[in-house]
Amino acid sequence: MTTAQFILSGWTWNPAVILTDALALVVYVAAFRDRRRIGWFATTLGVLLFTLLSPLNTLADGYLFSAHMAQHILLLLIVPALLLLSLPRSLSLAVGPRVFSQPLAGWLAGVGAMWFWHAPALCNAAVTSRPVHALQIVSLLVLGSLFWRQILASREEERLSPPGAVLYLFSACVTCSVLGIIITFSPVTVCSIYTMQPSDPLGMLRTIRTDWGFSPERDQQIGGLLMWVPMCLIYLSAIFAQIARWFALSASPATGKA
Amino acid sequence: MNEITTVLARAGLLTVEQREHWKMAWLSTVDHKRIGILYMVTALVFFVIGGIEAMFIRLQLAVPNNTLLHPDTYNMLFTMHGTTMIFLVAMPVLFGLANYIVPLQIGARDMAFPRLNSFGFWLVPLGGILLHFSFLAGGAPAVGWFAYAPLSETPYSSQLGVDYWALALLVLGIGSVSTSINLLVTVLTQRAAHMTLRRLPLFSWMIFVNSFLVILALPVLNAGLAMLLIDRRLGSHFFLPPGGGSAIMWQHIFWAFGHPEVYIVAIPAFGILSEVIPVFSRKPIFGYEFVAGSTVAIAFLSLLVWAHHMFTVGLGHAVDLFFVASSLLIAIPTGVKVLNWSGTMIGGRVRLDTPMLFWIAALVQFLFAGLTGVSHAVAALDWQTKNSYYLVAHFHFVFVGLIVFAILGGLHYWFPKMSGRMLSERLGKWTFWLMTIGFNLTFIIQHFLGLAGMPRRVYTYPDLPGWGWMNMVSTIGAFFMAAAALLFVWNLAASLLRGKLAGDNPWNGWTLEWAANSPPPHENFHELPPIRSRRPLWDDLNPDRPDPMVGTKWRAETSSPEKNTAIIIAFIISETGFFGVLILAYLFYSVMPQVGPSAHDLNLPKTVIFSLCLFASSLTIWRSEVSLLQGRQRAMAGWLAATILLGFIFIIGQGLEYWGLFQSGVRVSSNLFATTFFTLTGFHGLHVFVGLIALLIVLGLALTGDFKQGRSPALKAVGLYWHFVDVVWVLVFSVVYLLPHLR
Repeated sequence: MTTAQFILSGWTWNPAVILTDALALVVYVAAFRDRRRIGWFATTLGVLLFTLLSPLNTLADGYLFSAHMAQHILLLLIVPALLLLSLPRSLSLAVGPRVFSQPLAGWLAGVGAMWFWHAPALCNAAVTSRPVHALQIVSLLVLGSLFWRQILASREEERLSPPGAVLYLFSACVTCSVLGIIITFSPVTVCSIYTMQPSDPLGMLRTIRTDWGFSPERDQQIGGLLMWVPMCLIYLSAIFAQIARWFALSASPATGKA
Repeated sequence: MNEITTVLARAGLLTVEQREHWKMAWLSTVDHKRIGILYMVTALVFFVIGGIEAMFIRLQLAVPNNTLLHPDTYNMLFTMHGTTMIFLVAMPVLFGLANYIVPLQIGARDMAFPRLNSFGFWLVPLGGILLHFSFLAGGAPAVGWFAYAPLSETPYSSQLGVDYWALALLVLGIGSVSTSINLLVTVLTQRAAHMTLRRLPLFSWMIFVNSFLVILALPVLNAGLAMLLIDRRLGSHFFLPPGGGSAIMWQHIFWAFGHPEVYIVAIPAFGILSEVIPVFSRKPIFGYEFVAGSTVAIAFLSLLVWAHHMFTVGLGHAVDLFFVASSLLIAIPTGVKVLNWSGTMIGGRVRLDTPMLFWIAALVQFLFAGLTGVSHAVAALDWQTKNSYYLVAHFHFVFVGLIVFAILGGLHYWFPKMSGRMLSERLGKWTFWLMTIGFNLTFIIQHFLGLAGMPRRVYTYPDLPGWGWMNMVSTIGAFFMAAAALLFVWNLAASLLRGKLAGDNPWNGWTLEWAANSPPPHENFHELPPIRSRRPLWDDLNPDRPDPMVGTKWRAETSSPEKNTAIIIAFIISETGFFGVLILAYLFYSVMPQVGPSAHDLNLPKTVIFSLCLFASSLTIWRSEVSLLQGRQRAMAGWLAATILLGFIFIIGQGLEYWGLFQSGVRVSSNLFATTFFTLTGFHGLHVFVGLIALLIVLGLALTGDFKQGRSPALKAVGLYWHFVDVVWVLVFSVVYLLPHLR
């Protein structure tokens, strides 16, 4: 199969995902009267559908560790962030047990998710076993949301202050970089399933290995690098947003004279 | 001696009572202004030494096939020149300026920890002496400033030079970290009332951001140096491929520090530029927020791009591509800064005094350095120019063209504040023109030499077409720079004696340091002007059209953490970097196939018990703090004693483990497992030991009744440190003891 054919036919029509998405849209419309941010929500669902249905998912499903890593980043960092941004600004997220609103809990959720799912045994299981895979997707979305709510909660007072948020994001960036560095330079295979000859139902393996030049070693390297560099850049972008927030309204005439 | 005291006293640098013991008054000082000056004078001494080394290098290269210097001597000279200029000149002078200016700019009385400040300074001469002592101990290091392994290892550099080099850098690294922690805590906790974080002058803001960078980057180097020393002194093989080690590992460690290091010296230079371009353009800075924010961007990005120093190592195409992309990103925030500085000058009434001349030159030269920097970020181009004179020219444009020029401008700008006297404007202009002409003569041509193929670090070269005259031009330029440096030193000395009196605010500056007397009295300020914007002196002088007020919005910008807590957290951050490197090194080597002892020879059950003791001690110290809060002095002392006991049990347990290994013939040098195991657990044990000493001191204080008031910052700080030591052990224990059993 050539690359072009693959891009056309690599889509998976997973009814569970499509139904969940449709249901989520219905719930959103039903639950919120203030729908000014529905564009964000549509983007959230769009990215989610792309992550789980597009050829990226097919690649992640036994072909490429790096595709699997890209999927992780989308599910843990992009989709939850968009989801939080799509919520009406007046909505309070201070529901559920108090522990979920602790910054440390959010940090551990976001960082822990990455480390947890890259233990070799779990990484393999998530590819071979459907239930584990589903669990992984749901957990990444939930843990990612817990992580981002410290930064992107709809109400200003439920977010960390900018300096705290910068430390929160930066330490997460460093911790993920460390894992990325380990994966990039480790002589050990993290997810051995991707180095074995998969069943290759699409006949894509030749294209990937020779045309694309993804040897198993380079595949893992790119996976690690994705976590090391672009993932960190997402955190850094969030840091820059925090700095913008910090300096916004610096000259506030409303405060009056000192 | 009498003349010196007279000069110092007349310059206001010595009070009447101190005239009799002026040496002690300076050597034992803990005043931030004097320490700042000591830093700068030390840097000046090493600047002369490093400059003389550079002159010899240029003399040797002036003509083809020159025999002035022996090749070995040449290697020593360029190694010493690089090391000296970065670690003994650039960093100390910037720490000196920060030390002097930051407390004044934020309206503080002194640094948060004056004695730590003095400690940080005195490590600089110690490090400098250690480094230069190598000349007497059989030869200076001759391995380049980044001391690549395996050349820096015993089989290839068997003399003591590299050992002194590593020790000196370790000492200097510890000093830099302690000074940066101090600066960080000073900005966080010592600001005057109403000097909110968002009202900070840009120089102080950048020193603040930069201190984070030092705290994060220097410990990485320190860990690498410790590993190098263990290799050299104890015969291990961290970086020696024949013993299974990895020479590339050294490069990663060095550049993980080395790339941020470029920004560690550049960001304060940016701070100087951002501070004074507005003053000499008679306009507020254009886009304060962008200048301040882009600094944070530069600092964080710089930690993410070190692999671009290693494009030619062969890390693989994929790695190169990612680091090309991330390195190119740095051009954005630096470009933002150049735009802001230019925007500040546009439409301003630009005063071309000596400081401003230096900054305009710095700006232009920095732009040029940035352009050649971009060409190094592209791997394909980098492959062509790596380790040629093109690279030499590039980084000298950064280090001299930007940083030295910014510092020289800064010294001309702040000298009146420090001495009460103006530097001679006439000599200053001469210095500037000699320096600018000399610098550009020396280094522009080196780009072409590099493109023509001349490699760096060769002691001589054949008479190839064009090489001879280009090198001669470069050498002539270097002598212009030397003349400028001499003239500058002369100007400093002459102006200190006979300079025009400066008055408090000779440049009509707007930040708080100009509200103090020149030189400032021991206590800095008698009274501060009201602070409601970023230019308090402008507001004070122009009450009818003050700057718009910078409001307060976040609690974090007005409130200050307790300084003991702040410093211990900053220290813990730095230690995290140190242990992070050691743990990563352990992990990396643990998967390498090797013969000899392995993690399975360790005694897991015993260690579990001793580890539980250590973990329990975290609980006991927490109970001790709670008891103190409840006012139960005896319970507090009891829990504290229990903590110490548990800590000692852990140390004994580790000792037993070591003894067992020694008995079965395992040494640090046995294999990489033994090396990494002893290094990692040894450094952890050392930290436990230091923690125990601290705990004993606190216990002693508690027993003498020091903590009667209920709260003790000391106990809290030691407690935090102790928790950190425990958390590190959780990681070490998991990685060393548990991980092998999971495989």
